[in-house]
Amino acid sequence: MRSKALALTASAVLFVAGLSLPRIFAQEPPNPPPEQAPEVTLELNRGQRPPMKLAIPPFRGTQTLSGAAAGAAREMEQTVRRDLENSGYFEIIGPDRIGAVTWSGNMQRDVEPFRALGAETLLLGDVRAEGDRIVFEGRLFDIASAQPILAKRYRGSFTVTRRIGHTFADEVIRYLVGRPGISLSSIAFTSDRSGHKEIWVMDYDGQNQRRITGHRSTSMSPAWSPSGDALAYTSFFNGPPSIYVADMATNRKQPVVTSGSMNTTPTFSPDGGRVAFARSVEGNVEIFSTDRSGKGMRRLTHSNAIDTNPSWSPRGSEIAFTSGRAGNPHIYLMDSEGANQRRLTFDGDYNDGASWSPEGDLIVYTSRRGGRFQIAVTNVVTLATRVLTSGAGENESPAFSPDARKIAFVSRRSGRKQIYVMDVNGGNVQQVTQEGNNDMPDWSRIPVEP
Amino acid sequence: MNRKLMIWMVVPVLVTFLTGCPKKKPATPTTDLPVETEVVETPPPATTQEVVQTPPPEPVDETEDPMLSADLQVVNDELRRRGFSPDVFFEYDEISLSEETRERLARNAELLKAQPTFQVTIEGHADERGTNEYNLALGDRRANSVRDYLGSLGVDGGRLRIITYGEERPVCTESAESCWSQNRRAHMIITGRANVG
Repeated sequence: MRSKALALTASAVLFVAGLSLPRIFAQEPPNPPPEQAPEVTLELNRGQRPPMKLAIPPFRGTQTLSGAAAGAAREMEQTVRRDLENSGYFEIIGPDRIGAVTWSGNMQRDVEPFRALGAETLLLGDVRAEGDRIVFEGRLFDIASAQPILAKRYRGSFTVTRRIGHTFADEVIRYLVGRPGISLSSIAFTSDRSGHKEIWVMDYDGQNQRRITGHRSTSMSPAWSPSGDALAYTSFFNGPPSIYVADMATNRKQPVVTSGSMNTTPTFSPDGGRVAFARSVEGNVEIFSTDRSGKGMRRLTHSNAIDTNPSWSPRGSEIAFTSGRAGNPHIYLMDSEGANQRRLTFDGDYNDGASWSPEGDLIVYTSRRGGRFQIAVTNVVTLATRVLTSGAGENESPAFSPDARKIAFVSRRSGRKQIYVMDVNGGNVQQVTQEGNNDMPDWSRIPVEP
Repeated sequence: MNRKLMIWMVVPVLVTFLTGCPKKKPATPTTDLPVETEVVETPPPATTQEVVQTPPPEPVDETEDPMLSADLQVVNDELRRRGFSPDVFFEYDEISLSEETRERLARNAELLKAQPTFQVTIEGHADERGTNEYNLALGDRRANSVRDYLGSLGVDGGRLRIITYGEERPVCTESAESCWSQNRRAHMIITGRANVG
């Protein structure tokens, strides 16, 4: 999906054989030290190292451009810089610290000022226009050796400028950190800004917000398919809440389950073949699963209480869900066929909205503590739990980023419901929506390339 | 507009005449309900002479019993006038029916059994506290509680359709208990009528 989209929008050419050079910093992160008291501690910063010092001087060529090309060049630089900043892997040494730069063409000499600033890696960007297309070349240099370690050239229309910038930023992260970036990921959410609650999608950084549904009813609970080709969601547009799938390429909406009085809160299996959801049956709400066309429906829970809001684990073997069977809502786990149901959360008096970390070791959810809704995270093995937000504002509906380093969530801290993104330890909170009420974020996965 | 207005002028008079004052006899509602053909032919009392003498708006005058109106809004208003409770309320995070709610539903059941063609939709609602997802499930349980109770009182379950709106359709939007208590409800409304015969 991702490579196909890129082929349509921009041509990327690897023109320096960076693969033959040593991949600095590209090793897997070391194993974390053994936890000494797993029942009380929850380590959320596993394998983190001090940020890498990356110098990014102003992109070259922007000054010679004018009009739309100059605008695209500035957008390119801004996108790359912001993506790398947002990633949290780097301390960016930017134009404010770098000052005027002169290029001799001799890299041994040209890296010297950046070495003096303590930078380990230098990112050089060159932009130029070819008619109505922008050409971007991005290079990485190892400052210690003054050797090029990565170089990429992209060419595309001005409209794909941001996509090119995101693509290069993720290449840099992949090369320097050895992990996939999230710059090309998207967040699905609900917004009422059009007058009705509809499904919307935005880039991970809040840019490029666009409406997916136009049912003019109430549509909610968007859930990405693992490959990002579709969104499952709940809508009232044809009467009782029912489950539909929107195809992202064709924008076609297909019903999945519409029978009965209530079908809500869909979640895809990691192979994309099945959807688990909550369904009203015999006067109660239970978890079911079905294939994407609504065939092969199976009932997974049989409790006398509400069972709802399932979330399929990234490995596929388990489903987290919410149940009122203990008297108030708590998060439970079961095998994906319904066996081995067990309670995960014991703190808080109202827990709902489980979202798995991409590695399947953590579950983040909405948890009411002392009368206030907060974002909490629990290790599924040790049950160690940490609350990530505090104060008023009703913090709800969390979702992990595909790199497990960030959590999108909803808060009323500024009045209306808005979507925020924070680091996985609760820091660095940034608001990413402004218009209308925005709710229920779900962060797309990125297919792991072989 | 004219037609609707005239129905409204005619209806209360006729019903009052035939059923007596409902305020005086609230406990025995259904036995007083008229058969529709009698309604049309019963001569009006003297005090309502002018109203009744107004020529009927349409030659086909099936609407003189509001229960037969094609306009379901008229039907719902008339049911309410006869003591039907369109809303029953719930405690926070509760699906159980209070004693008062059971009494209201008992009267609703009698009215519905007297009008066996009516199709009823029971909407389940929740207040804004809690998550939208769980509140949808809660609304479904509330609507089911009401359906089950009406069924136990003899209302045919096939006439009762349920839908949950959770917290998506509040009647009151302030963040206060005075408002939340109005939103924790099951709402009953006539949404159709089966063909007789």
